[in-house]
Amino acid sequence: MSSTTKASRIGEELWKTRVDKVNAELVTLTYGTIVAQLCQDYDGNYPEVNKQLEKMGYNIGMRLIEDFLAKSNVGRCANFRETADMIAKVGFRIFLNIAPTVTNWTSDNNQFSLVFDENPLADFVELPDDGRAQDELWFSNILCGVLRGALEMVQMQVEAHFVSDVLRGDDTTEMRVSLIRYIEDEMPPEEE
Amino acid sequence: MVVYSFYIFDRHAECIYKRRWLPRPASITGGKSSRPTSEASAPATSTPALLGQSARTTDDDAKLIFGTVFSLRNMVRKLGGEDDNFVTYKTSQYKLHYYETPTNIKFVMLTDIKSPSMRIALQQIYINLYVEYVVKNPLSPVEHPGGVGVNNELFEESLEQFVTRVLS
Repeated sequence: MSSTTKASRIGEELWKTRVDKVNAELVTLTYGTIVAQLCQDYDGNYPEVNKQLEKMGYNIGMRLIEDFLAKSNVGRCANFRETADMIAKVGFRIFLNIAPTVTNWTSDNNQFSLVFDENPLADFVELPDDGRAQDELWFSNILCGVLRGALEMVQMQVEAHFVSDVLRGDDTTEMRVSLIRYIEDEMPPEEE
Repeated sequence: MVVYSFYIFDRHAECIYKRRWLPRPASITGGKSSRPTSEASAPATSTPALLGQSARTTDDDAKLIFGTVFSLRNMVRKLGGEDDNFVTYKTSQYKLHYYETPTNIKFVMLTDIKSPSMRIALQQIYINLYVEYVVKNPLSPVEHPGGVGVNNELFEESLEQFVTRVLS
């Protein structure tokens, strides 16, 4: 597909020229520490940990999108398919140097999956062996929030959640992203 | 060239930053001459009359400018397609330059009429100043109601430098 290859090229180019790199282990360990601390703070209440991670991601995404736009200088996407390619091939490339596969589109083009072959957040990670984390914790849930926050800033309300994770013993790590609606421009409040 | 003023509006249609370098051209001030009298009678103004007046009229300016660029941009999109955007307009007194990001942040600059296009300059303000000093400041809020977080020293100083050194 041409828009996919174009996005890949933009992503590669930006990664090479515009992005400051940091040590991968630093990222993995920092993120791991955050998740571990949350698990401790919420006393192993994993659904709550998922929620907090999503919220943190949301706040990150709302800022990250500006950096993304400043770096990439790309314009508005024409449709949600193009958006998906931008996220996978440009967004993930410049911030995590990965490019998840976009797949499993619904026929209305409003839902797709991102399949992660690699996930720098989850390197070295083994979920706690308490019989619950394997079923309840979505370790990389911050990414769902990042997408939601970033897309909200460019007028798309989306919902994102993980449906499988290799950390849980699944074959793949897959995130499902659904477009709920395009957000209308806000008007200034009426004056008296 | 001369820069008169500069405004940033966020996606909630709020003016989150405004800055004026020179008195506005006479025609704008003149157009609002009825305003100060009604304000002078307001009991709330404990500040010197002149100060209060100028602060309030900048607020009014911001609202007027937002209304104008918002309508213009919608009109342009209707006529020229979703991706179209207006860049500038000119009156006999000033030139208004406009740049909007995909996140709906609007940058507006008023200059004298002889100035060249400021589109690139506004884009640079966004990329090199706004994103760097406002968005990336981890302790500033994500959104900026009332301009909180935008009016930080780094941003204001660099903007000042940008306008005085680069643009003149």
